[in-house]
Amino acid sequence: MNTAVRVNTTTYAVTHIATNMLGSIRAIIKGSGLNPDRIRDQWDVLERGFAAWLASGHLKTATLEVYDTSKRGDNLVGRFDFTIDYGYYPGGDGDLWLDPDTVAFVIRKNGSFPADCEYRIVADCAPGHPTVPGWAATTYRSTAGFTRHAVGTAIGGGSMGAGLAYYTRSGK
Amino acid sequence: MSVVSRAVAAIPVRTSVGTWEAITDLLAPADTAGRRRLEEVTNIAAVLITAEYTQQEPIVVMPSSGPRIRIRTVHGADAEEARTEEVSLASSPCAEPGWTLSLPCGVDDIEEIRAALRAHPGFEVRDLTEGITVGEPVPSAVAEDWLINYDELENP
Repeated sequence: MNTAVRVNTTTYAVTHIATNMLGSIRAIIKGSGLNPDRIRDQWDVLERGFAAWLASGHLKTATLEVYDTSKRGDNLVGRFDFTIDYGYYPGGDGDLWLDPDTVAFVIRKNGSFPADCEYRIVADCAPGHPTVPGWAATTYRSTAGFTRHAVGTAIGGGSMGAGLAYYTRSGK
Repeated sequence: MSVVSRAVAAIPVRTSVGTWEAITDLLAPADTAGRRRLEEVTNIAAVLITAEYTQQEPIVVMPSSGPRIRIRTVHGADAEEARTEEVSLASSPCAEPGWTLSLPCGVDDIEEIRAALRAHPGFEVRDLTEGITVGEPVPSAVAEDWLINYDELENP
């Protein structure tokens, strides 16, 4: 019985964090003035990836990268990281929760992007992660010249927490 | 018109996409045209499920014949119990052509979702703050044209 509860707790935590992380990324996209069509059109692939890699313990960070297509070379203009801490609740029985205020704070602090900026979702996974259809290998854009601001844990569940950070150009 | 209601367990028991898949299981058999139409709006529906609009107001299915179907999603601590109490429908309302489906949506997302659904005839989105008005009788124009003649009221 205890095993079943534990399995359910872990499964539910994975589902809770995967779906709400995606919902939070969409909130950032909309709140930053970006077009939400792309994330909506990829919703099933993104959610399946997050859920699979959280369940396997390989997902390290889910990132929203915002870039300016009119620039060549390093065209990053903003970035948001949800970093997974698999030992956030050492006992593994943390409640399932979401803090929309943390997401709203980041949106407010970051401000808006020009409407013609594009974005993509990147999952940073540990080696050996399972393959999920629809995802392809890539590398992050350079964050040289940017400052990372960690704002705390935005989503929690089971033993896991998802900490949120955003990047701004240094001096902004 | 008779109405049949169902509750479907959502997050955290199922992902948003998994929840829509459970709803499509209720509404249409596999490998049918109706099922394919439902599957084509998976991403749109999953966004609305994630936002929990479908918990506040039901998805409404109007089949070509038979009772109207209302489906709510159950989220959070109540979702596990809801899963054990899920009941299938006596028939598949989207098995035959001619059905329509209305999705609830918050005002912040409704223009985006309405635009996305334009490519999917038979699906519509409605403002969840307006309650369920899908297919309800529209008040007649005569009723809207009533005016009070205050001059007449002052006549002896």
